[in-house]
Amino acid sequence: MIRAPLTKALSLGSSTSPIHKIAAAAFRTTAVTAQIPAKAPEKIEVFVDDIPVHVEPGTTILQAAAVAGVEIPRFCYHERLAVAGNCRMCLVEIEKSPKLAAACAMPVMKGWRIKTNSEKTRQAREGVMEFLLMNHPLDCPICDQGGECDLQDQAMAFGSDRSRFTDINHSGKRAVEDKDIGPLVKTIMTRCIHCTRCIRFASEIAGVDDLGTTGRGNDMQIGTYVEKLFLSEMSGNVIDLCPVGALTNKPFSFAARPWETRKISSIDVLDAVGSNIIVSTRTNEVLRILPRENEEINEEWLADKSRFACDGLKRQRLVAPMVRIKGELTPVEWEGALIEVGQKVRAANGAVAGVAGSLADVESMVALKDLLNRVGSEAVCTEQSFPSEGSGADLRSNYLFNRNIQSLETADVALLIGTNPRYEAPLINTRLRKAYVHNELEVASIGPKIDLSYRHNNLGDDSNLITQICNGTHPFAAKLKEAKNPAIIVGSDLLARPDGAGILANLQNFAKGFKSTSALNVLQRNASQAGALDIGYQAGVEEAIKSKPKVLFLLNADEAKVTRDQLPKDCYIVYVGHHGDEGAQIADAVLPGVAYTEKTATYVNTEGRAQQTLAAVSPPGLARDDWKIFRAISEIVGAPLPYDSLEEIRDRLDDIAPHLIRHGHLEANSFQTVAPQLSAAPSISSGKVSVQQLSLKDYFMTDPISRASPTMAKCIQAAKKEGEKKAASASC
Amino acid sequence: MVENKLVLATPEELKQRNKLAGTIAVPKQVNIAPITGHPEEHVKNRRVCISRPAKNSMQSGTNNLDYWRIEFDNRERWENPLMGWVSTGDPLSNMEVEFNSKEEAIAHCEKNGYKWFIEQEEQAKPSRVKNYGSNFSWNKRTRVSTK
Repeated sequence: MIRAPLTKALSLGSSTSPIHKIAAAAFRTTAVTAQIPAKAPEKIEVFVDDIPVHVEPGTTILQAAAVAGVEIPRFCYHERLAVAGNCRMCLVEIEKSPKLAAACAMPVMKGWRIKTNSEKTRQAREGVMEFLLMNHPLDCPICDQGGECDLQDQAMAFGSDRSRFTDINHSGKRAVEDKDIGPLVKTIMTRCIHCTRCIRFASEIAGVDDLGTTGRGNDMQIGTYVEKLFLSEMSGNVIDLCPVGALTNKPFSFAARPWETRKISSIDVLDAVGSNIIVSTRTNEVLRILPRENEEINEEWLADKSRFACDGLKRQRLVAPMVRIKGELTPVEWEGALIEVGQKVRAANGAVAGVAGSLADVESMVALKDLLNRVGSEAVCTEQSFPSEGSGADLRSNYLFNRNIQSLETADVALLIGTNPRYEAPLINTRLRKAYVHNELEVASIGPKIDLSYRHNNLGDDSNLITQICNGTHPFAAKLKEAKNPAIIVGSDLLARPDGAGILANLQNFAKGFKSTSALNVLQRNASQAGALDIGYQAGVEEAIKSKPKVLFLLNADEAKVTRDQLPKDCYIVYVGHHGDEGAQIADAVLPGVAYTEKTATYVNTEGRAQQTLAAVSPPGLARDDWKIFRAISEIVGAPLPYDSLEEIRDRLDDIAPHLIRHGHLEANSFQTVAPQLSAAPSISSGKVSVQQLSLKDYFMTDPISRASPTMAKCIQAAKKEGEKKAASASC
Repeated sequence: MVENKLVLATPEELKQRNKLAGTIAVPKQVNIAPITGHPEEHVKNRRVCISRPAKNSMQSGTNNLDYWRIEFDNRERWENPLMGWVSTGDPLSNMEVEFNSKEEAIAHCEKNGYKWFIEQEEQAKPSRVKNYGSNFSWNKRTRVSTK
């Protein structure tokens, strides 16, 4: 009857005839059914080298090929960066298409037959390689990228076996001046093939729009345009991203070839994120640290401190046990030192306390606690404090980052209170930035004005703002309540304030009304904190000081939270740790422990995920595993601890809390809803919300390892200079 | 039907008969450590890491990563003064055995009596449809300003 589409017929005819009335009704009903959310778009089938694959519409050829298990060569394309499509290495042939397509940018169509290994494709790759190599210097023998260079490998695999490059005019190859972009990244710009990965990383992931291109064609250059340093807490990642040797690791330059080094998977402990790393070693020396892919934690990035502070592992180390004789710390044999300490512990008659610092691992903290419990003391604490009122550290959800790191990507509204994630946990900040870019995340912060690398609304730094948010009078509170996936991130330093319990309780009560249960997150700053609270340490050194100890154990405690004048005059301080820093200075006996690259130990990150480091090198000098030191002391004290090997102490960990030995696995936190009921005295005192790490220069040195690192010292210098330059240009 | 022999048998004979009845069960898990000639200190004191090789973050290729391997824990290494090469006293430092699956690697470790652990569980890669056009979208934050 009606041949034309219904809508067309309706607009044409007069709406008086009965047929049209029926048609109009029919149309309305179809319109109603159309409002029901459409089901997920159907997958489309394409053939990559005759392998059929089903992919979502809009997928690029390169991604579809990856699903089929076919890897297409690329230089500019990177999984985690935006598509650029400028290197042309990924050209592939599509059947019945006259021209080749750039696989990284071309979305697939139904039924396409993609040939990634045809004659035409191979010719295209060869041509691209020839053009790239025409202006690439032949300095592979002295290039630091040699051996792990994409250009080298792909020239071997896809390039021509001879060169047509004959320099008839003797004009030489294209040459570009090197740029000074900081103490971490070395540039040899002649090697650059203009893939623009570093530019995209800087603007997309790091959020620092410093790098860019100038000039066109043969004159194109990558750089900062004006002379300035590329200073970001994530700058080291451009070294990994660079497919050639244009950006290389400055401290590692000319140190070793990749095939000479031994690579050991481990965990980073310089912040509480627990990034997965690979430690490259040679001749019992840590040469460099690279990130290891872990989608749930660090994707494949690594913060600069974690990457470059490894040279601090060779300096300021404690290599022999020392005892203070006539006011001087004197190296002695292990036996003498242990007997001395053992006798003091015995004589103390239970007046013993322990303080664990930021780099302590769970095994040694368990050993210390067991030792102290055996001699009749309960005073084991961490340097970082946390409110003990209410449910305190009894409920895990109180002190952890309850919403795991990966799911931050889906957050839509976030509130940061008293924290600067950019420097406290750079990899959590990149997740927030990812959500900001791809998920339209709206961020607000309470605290001093800081640069988070993405736009956010600074509500102010008054503590009353927290109260206003919690009782709903602040306009931002409504946004959080209405959000599908809200996230509140609280800094651990804020909770260390005297009214920390009040802040936490108020926020917990406020978060009860949210649409998602795990919206409230505490961002720890120390790798040891979550683990210490898990095994029953008390947060804050007050308990240790109050117990008036005769012997005080400092386990990696280098923040100088405990000083001599707070302790009784006759207190004997024993420092167990790996660096001669604040802790060792005030100690009467120093027992050398080992650093995280030298031990197999467990750390719990801020999400509550237990992970283990693996020993990459052997400890320097006479240093020993920290837990073994406590085991030895227990023998002398006469209360031997019941474990002799790593397996046995792991069994003990299992007895205390089973999640500690399920490495890599994230246990779901419960009791988020119970916590507010147990909270006591929810009051917030007035004052300012402060943040410790305000700008980049505060980021580099936060622990004994990075304080001993010369590279980190150079970074601070550079950051300070850059800051002065900026201030000077702003004033004139 | 009653069997005469059964009825007339003494309790000892019955016991013996029961013992011989059925099949002999051979333990499925065999520990061959005592007969391999492998020094005891390397079997008892060492831990074996079962893992997949991690992708080198410096490169984009992923070709040689699709297998499982076992590695012994790391021991001391030093620079040899003769040539500057790396020396070690550990006979197992370069022993890396490759397997097609995690289960095969575990079975091998069990058979040899090694203490093993698995380094990282497999994780699903979140898929993200990428689009060249998003560089130029006018209302999204994916718009690229720096080139």
